[in-house]
Amino acid sequence: MATNKELRDFFEDVHWLMDILQNIDAGLVVMDKDYKVELWNSFMQNHSGKAPETVLKQSIFKVFPELSETWFKHKAQSVFVLQNAAFTTWEQRPYLFRFPHYRPITGTAEHMYQNSTIIPLVDSKGTVEHICLIIYDVTDTAVNKIAQQEANQQLQNLSRTDHLTGLFNRGYWELRLIQEFKRYDRYEQPSTLIMMDIDHFKKVNDKYGHTVGDDVIRQVSRAIKEQVRDLDIAGRYGGEEFGIILTNTDVEGAAVFAERLRATVEKQVVYSEGQQVRFTISLGVAELIESTVDHRAWIERADHALYQSKEGGRNRFTITT
Amino acid sequence: MGGLIAYCARTAKLEILLSISTTNTMHPHLLTEDQRDCLQEITNVAMGQAGDRLARLLDVFVVLSIPHVSILNPTDIAMALQSLNRESHDVVHGVCQGFIGGGIAGEAMLIFNGTDFNDLAKLLKYERVEDEQAEYELLMDTANVLNGACLKGMAEQLDTHFSFGPPMLLGQHCNITDLLQNNNMTWKQALVVEINYSIENHKINCDLLIVIAEHSISGLVEKLNYLLD
Repeated sequence: MATNKELRDFFEDVHWLMDILQNIDAGLVVMDKDYKVELWNSFMQNHSGKAPETVLKQSIFKVFPELSETWFKHKAQSVFVLQNAAFTTWEQRPYLFRFPHYRPITGTAEHMYQNSTIIPLVDSKGTVEHICLIIYDVTDTAVNKIAQQEANQQLQNLSRTDHLTGLFNRGYWELRLIQEFKRYDRYEQPSTLIMMDIDHFKKVNDKYGHTVGDDVIRQVSRAIKEQVRDLDIAGRYGGEEFGIILTNTDVEGAAVFAERLRATVEKQVVYSEGQQVRFTISLGVAELIESTVDHRAWIERADHALYQSKEGGRNRFTITT
Repeated sequence: MGGLIAYCARTAKLEILLSISTTNTMHPHLLTEDQRDCLQEITNVAMGQAGDRLARLLDVFVVLSIPHVSILNPTDIAMALQSLNRESHDVVHGVCQGFIGGGIAGEAMLIFNGTDFNDLAKLLKYERVEDEQAEYELLMDTANVLNGACLKGMAEQLDTHFSFGPPMLLGQHCNITDLLQNNNMTWKQALVVEINYSIENHKINCDLLIVIAEHSISGLVEKLNYLLD
């Protein structure tokens, strides 16, 4: 028989344990097989703002409608059957319970991000009649990670973009050209390259100055951006030279595109001290064909057609034969 | 030769293969033949139990390969993962999960090759897979169930209990091969138990690598010796 001291020690231990579980900065919810809440700690009570009498012996799904019943039961099922913990992370599901941010004044997130673990509670018979859901507040980690991802994305966009035009810069555009060339090798879907440049651009620069020259480049770039589809790849190749890859487009489709772009640019006007400055473009069109050895050869074919447009009097497009 | 090495053989160049096969021969100072056989036997039994548990949870017949035990270094693992990537143009997904207990620590890596998301969803009885996040969650859940089933059995055989960390998608925040090929890794060699899972009538095929870290191999050896005595 236990002595009085042993009993006293035992109750003291239990008292301590209960105190720790109550005050630990993680949420604890014990549920039975019908997902009725048997026990929960102050973290859950304080963050949810729900009184124990409205929660205990109630179905967790009734108390927290934001918790998807089918989803949670799936997770919990493996815990009951395999007697094996299950996990959720904020990356896949930002939260289980919609709690406000722990720091309502300085916190930036709209809600608490949560990781959670569901552990089996094995009884004396070795069966699992109850599970315990543990909720961790990972808001700071999540917010930092999201900010980092956004910063990386911004850096990546910056490193790909030509500052003056907002089109892809030459480095990234060429990379995409190589990818498109390889894609053609694999799937043999048509793909057409247009190389183009602004006619007599040097004269514009000499006569009106570089700011007007820049305006002209921006106008042409805007026309390109307005005409390409989402999957097309347009980049600034050199000073006044541009490259446009029309994916899934054969030479007939590209000819329509080239003519429309030519006609659009022809109508554009840039003003310099009240004077109208007009400009035109010449284009070379080359559909990718079997015999093209690499992406450089593809550019050369389009360049050659561009040269013919120049020779033929400019403000026109030529198709590589 | 195990599936992992076989994958390399299909795609890797000769010198890569040679480097793997040299490190693949058992290092006497890490594990004796007896210890290796014992570990193989333990995993075999654990897999049998895992298959049984999975059948009860998922109502399917799980086809499990005989576990293959080998010693690999970070580059071997990186190359093996890379060769999986190269094999098809599809993205290969992997999930890793840490475990620790009884003086043994390691990571379970589950590599999905040739797995159809819809079949996976059907298997776990998910209604539908709406977006990328739902796909990832599906992978993590599958990994957790498969890893848990197998490692629980292994822990029982070794008369211990493992704690599990949350599963992490490989390469979600970093490139796994870059990570493993980085020379700053704190470990040089690891014990790898490789098991292939496939599920009858589903397009699901995955490789489970139980990678036991160098510093905790002694803990495992102690337990194996106890079983061998």
